[in-house]
Amino acid sequence: MSEHLPAAQQDVTLLELVDRVLNKGVVLTGDITLSVADVDLVYVGLRVLLASVATLEQGEAGGA
Amino acid sequence: MLYLYALSEPPTDAPDVLGLDETPLAVERMGDIDAVVGALDRARVEPSERAILDHARVVAAVAEANVAVLPARFGRGFTDGPALRSAVGERSAELTRALDLVRGCSELALRVLAPSDGASTVAASGRDYMRTRLDEQRRTERLADELHEPLAALARAATKSVAAGSELVLSAAYLVPRDTLADFEALVTELGAGHPDLTIACTGPWPPYSFATAEPGAA
Repeated sequence: MSEHLPAAQQDVTLLELVDRVLNKGVVLTGDITLSVADVDLVYVGLRVLLASVATLEQGEAGGA
Repeated sequence: MLYLYALSEPPTDAPDVLGLDETPLAVERMGDIDAVVGALDRARVEPSERAILDHARVVAAVAEANVAVLPARFGRGFTDGPALRSAVGERSAELTRALDLVRGCSELALRVLAPSDGASTVAASGRDYMRTRLDEQRRTERLADELHEPLAALARAATKSVAAGSELVLSAAYLVPRDTLADFEALVTELGAGHPDLTIACTGPWPPYSFATAEPGAA
């Protein structure tokens, strides 16, 4: 599904990927984990990305 | 540390790809569960873009090569084999159930955005404002159900979140048998045609990240 996607769709795909890798998936107890500060930093980037996706899509007039 | 990429139903076919820091993959057998790991020469992993994409690439390759795979969350490692073995052993029954659930399935993600109304409505009073907001919220929830329910009916499991008061009408994930992915995508297209005012972004197929945790919410 990843060929010839418009830019907004590629951004959404990246957002979904990062969201999955960082927030979903199995977590076992007793493992070495990231510090919260690190994850927060990534989130700042994600929020910016999501905002830019919303803006792009409004510009495309319902192009999905 | 032993960095964890995924858990898998044995026998696991370890794909021929390199992981974080360009290290090879290894499979640790723990009874009914295999762990796909890599030995990293460091004690922590920072969430750099490179590392996140490396993790995602390995998980995707493992999910592609095997029938039942639970992706691990980014950045989790164990000091050694026995530490990993004990962490998996503690929850083996639950993990085996999760492997059963995802067997033969991929995940599809859906994000639905509504056009923003801008600042068109000026409420006459606080009560009017609250009423308008409540109406909007109910409308959004109804719309989300209208889209979500027929899709969830095609999925083995589904999760959804509705963000009240934002342009994001629906954010959902669906666990779909690989042989019916095309049917699911066709239904997404059909629902999109019925709602031309919405932006519907369906991405995937993904490894089943959203269904790898203990007890994912059933549809």
